[in-house]
Amino acid sequence: MRNFLGHSSRRLKAAIAFPLIGLALFLLSNRVDELRVYQGANVAVFVVAIISIILLTGYSGQISLGHGALMAVGAYAAVLSQIYWHLPVILTFFVAVLAAAGFGAILGSAAGRLTGPYLAGTTLALAVGLPSLANQFGFLGGEQGLNYDVGLPPAWLGADFTQYKWFFWISGLAALIITWLSFNLLGSHYGRNWRALRSNPTAAALMGIHVGRSKVLAFTVSSGLAGLAGALLAMTISLVTPSAFPTSLSFSIVTGAVLAGVTLLTGSIVGAVVLVAIPEITGALATHLGGSEKVTSNLPGLLTSVLLIVAVLLFPNGPQAIMKRTRKSSQ
Amino acid sequence: MFERRRSKRTIFALATLAAGALAVTAIPAQAFNVHTTDGVTPTTIKLGITIPLTGSAAPGYNKIPAAMIAYFNYVNDNGGVNGRKIQLVVKDDAYLPTLAVAKTNELILKDKVFAVIGALGTANHIAVSKSVNLGRRGVPDLFLNTGFSGFADAKKYPTTFSLFPSYIMEAKIMGQYLKDKFPGKKLGLIYQADDFGTDALAGFKQAGTNFAVKVSYASGSQSAQTAAGWVSKLKTAGAEVVVMFGVTTASGAALATSAALGYKAQWILGSVGGDATTLKAVGVPAVVLTGAIGASFLPAPTDTSDPYVAFFQGINTKYNGGAVFDNNVLVGMNTAMMTVQALRAAGSNPTQKGLVAALESKGSTFASAGLAPLNYAKGVHVGYNGYWFGSYNSSGELKPVGGDYSVYTTDSGAGAIVKSTYVRPALPANGLPTN
Amino acid sequence: MERLFNTILIGVSGGSIYSLMALALVLVWRSTRVVNFAQAGQAILSTYIGYEVITHTDNYWLAFPIALVAGALTGALIDILMVRTLMKRAHSGPVAGIAPVIATLGLLGLIRAIVGMIWGGDLRQFKLPVSNHGFTFGHNTIPFAPINLLIVVTTVVVMLIFSVIFQRTNLGLSLRASAYQPEIARLAGIRVDLTRTIGWAFAGAAGAVAGMLVTPTNYLSPNSLDLLLVSGFVAAVIGGLESLVGAAVGGLILGISLALVLEYISSSLAFPVAFVVLIAVLLVKPSGLIGAKRTRHA
Repeated sequence: MRNFLGHSSRRLKAAIAFPLIGLALFLLSNRVDELRVYQGANVAVFVVAIISIILLTGYSGQISLGHGALMAVGAYAAVLSQIYWHLPVILTFFVAVLAAAGFGAILGSAAGRLTGPYLAGTTLALAVGLPSLANQFGFLGGEQGLNYDVGLPPAWLGADFTQYKWFFWISGLAALIITWLSFNLLGSHYGRNWRALRSNPTAAALMGIHVGRSKVLAFTVSSGLAGLAGALLAMTISLVTPSAFPTSLSFSIVTGAVLAGVTLLTGSIVGAVVLVAIPEITGALATHLGGSEKVTSNLPGLLTSVLLIVAVLLFPNGPQAIMKRTRKSSQ
Repeated sequence: MFERRRSKRTIFALATLAAGALAVTAIPAQAFNVHTTDGVTPTTIKLGITIPLTGSAAPGYNKIPAAMIAYFNYVNDNGGVNGRKIQLVVKDDAYLPTLAVAKTNELILKDKVFAVIGALGTANHIAVSKSVNLGRRGVPDLFLNTGFSGFADAKKYPTTFSLFPSYIMEAKIMGQYLKDKFPGKKLGLIYQADDFGTDALAGFKQAGTNFAVKVSYASGSQSAQTAAGWVSKLKTAGAEVVVMFGVTTASGAALATSAALGYKAQWILGSVGGDATTLKAVGVPAVVLTGAIGASFLPAPTDTSDPYVAFFQGINTKYNGGAVFDNNVLVGMNTAMMTVQALRAAGSNPTQKGLVAALESKGSTFASAGLAPLNYAKGVHVGYNGYWFGSYNSSGELKPVGGDYSVYTTDSGAGAIVKSTYVRPALPANGLPTN
Repeated sequence: MERLFNTILIGVSGGSIYSLMALALVLVWRSTRVVNFAQAGQAILSTYIGYEVITHTDNYWLAFPIALVAGALTGALIDILMVRTLMKRAHSGPVAGIAPVIATLGLLGLIRAIVGMIWGGDLRQFKLPVSNHGFTFGHNTIPFAPINLLIVVTTVVVMLIFSVIFQRTNLGLSLRASAYQPEIARLAGIRVDLTRTIGWAFAGAAGAVAGMLVTPTNYLSPNSLDLLLVSGFVAAVIGGLESLVGAAVGGLILGISLALVLEYISSSLAFPVAFVVLIAVLLVKPSGLIGAKRTRHA
């Protein structure tokens, strides 16, 4: 049981820690080369996406294999608001959150009665079906997509300030804010309700928690975050197109969440780094090992899959033991 | 027991964190963006390509890089380009825009390639052009393997050179062909419901073609089952001539299913879905393909009387392990041969700027297997702009209608369709360019 | 009328393949409470093995049982090598629902990569066991051919065989007991691990049948059954995941709805159909058409 003082000291620590992390990241972005900065932007995007799964699966116990589709909703909302309403970039991110959250609320209400595999199946069908709709309606731009341009970095940042660094700053800041907000949300009574719900829905209901409403709320919040991640992802490729949101994207972020430990917000950085680093590392390994074209082109997939299976079999709860211990000792 | 498990987890967490931290910090600080000539040393020139090697779009395309490397190795064995050996770095983008951007960034920022060649996929390459911004970085982006007309815009994509005629050109020329050869017939169209199909619709509209029935399909949904639905629609509408503007697996499904359902029509296959070798591999019986009409801007890969095809088939045997010689292999080797000429044209001390300029000034004179002219000029980055029509014989070879290649050319706008008088340059001696 | 009839026929032949894949997924779900995404990989591996036999012997009917046995063995092997550990390590907590998804997805990637390494990414095809030329009545060729009949009949036979095993044999009783109450089954002397392995083997064989039947009219590549996996999963969920009949009905509902939408609404709407059908069914019956008797909380 956390007492009031413990609670507020945690908040204080967070209030100091987050700006410090931010500062460290920004300093880092000046030290590393452009490829790493670009990859850093991707890591930040995945942090937001993975947190959306952690809130949903780790806390409210619902499984979604369709968050890629919700990311698409956010990305399309953002780019459409830019094209038709000429909103400034910062506001398009809010539009992304709101649109995806609204979509998620409707889906969540429909899916609120669904559990486990039924929800997984429904969301997977959504991931398969939704992005293809972009080819049905002209205003969605079809396969060639809609250009999502967050603009050049402001001039006062200097001529050396690259576009990718700008992407990194934007997505890094978003990831920090989202992490901080999620910490607070999970510390609030909503977070406690979700935890109660996850461990024992019947007991939670007896304690007066409205199970259905609580689940829908979790789905809504999670969808909103996915929408933001979608807009940020579109920013890194400057384009909103259905093929940027394939079914494999939904699987990737769930994978990231499992690697993160499903219940641990700070684990999201581990999951995100792995997701971004793996294709490059396995690709380089495959080139290094060599072999016939058949072998080298499939080696990255093989290595990634083996790593994934081993990680899930040996460490199903992710790398959280160490972090949990640190957190406990600090209280 | 509990402690052991816990310590294992701790190690895992530490290892992952360390790996992540290493990946980020082990790289030395470095100057930004201003790009000097990368990828060229006194003995090598490094080029890069991203292409689907795995995933559902991979079949077919995955043969292209090996074909390119085969031709490059042949050139390297014969002294390379001005003494430099060509290396091709190949990355798998699984036909996803996010991966195409990530892998192109690796090519440019880590492998430091001199130029990107043969990139593939409309959405993929729009994303790459915008996000990686090849134009601003000055990285040459040569010989795109896509018919999306937008890449021809040299102002928007200053270092990009498309190679294939656009889908709009293809549909326009096909529309004219329909008007000439099948006047008054009931026409049907099957097209892919994305940019590929919408470009085709635009071209047919331009040509004034009226279809009695149009059937669209979502990319990836083609199968024997969905094709049964297409055929029943064509049948109901009584289409006598059917244009198939889709990928090979879709035209394969359409042809095989129409045969199975006893539906007979004059089929006209677009260049993307008309590779006879692949059609046979996906189960289209030879008797169904026989008599169908196909469009192409290259000679048929089975036409050994063509000097380019015969030469490339020799390279394929010696340097490519005797892979099945289809359109993809031909495209790969042809692209490689044009790349060698572009590099030669850029001079003995090639720069990226020099390469772009060389293509603009000399690109239209390059020797290539293409039967349609190359249009490169200052500010014009369009490659081939024409098609010829052939019909498939009983062994699946595409033979020109009327015996010799009559190529029709046009543009992606409202320009006229004209019979081309272009005569392609002869194959350089031993297939080694001397430009 | 003829148009509707033809459309339904197209739907039935497509749907029966979904049913087979759904059946495979249901068999694993019943024995392990895991949605097995590796099923597409297992099926593709078995089908490639069948393909190898056909290229060497030119005999589909020899390849069919060999692919089936290969599928069963792969299924059993996966259970012994992976699922056992998974069940021990990730059986509780928030991760329990999602770890199997990731593990089986990893396995799908692994099998696909292995298949790609052995056979490459080229499209392949094997000859039809029976004709794919639609039956003809007078001048009318209907979109239903001997191959489609073979698919439907095989699906029915496979369903019947499994129903008999489940309802009429001791093995079936053990399978059902271990699925519903593993602890009690264990106390009653049932070897729960072995029973689960048999469930995975059955599923592997069913997946192989689906692969061997769908490939002759389409083509084979490391990814060629991906979409079938999704359709099969959706069909299984529509059917309620627990029942063999449910899987069959779910597959047919999905197949026929898809054919109807493509014919009457838009031929390019293939992908959103599954979601719409699924949400429509689940809004009425949240545990599928023939779902569990009691509500299940994941």
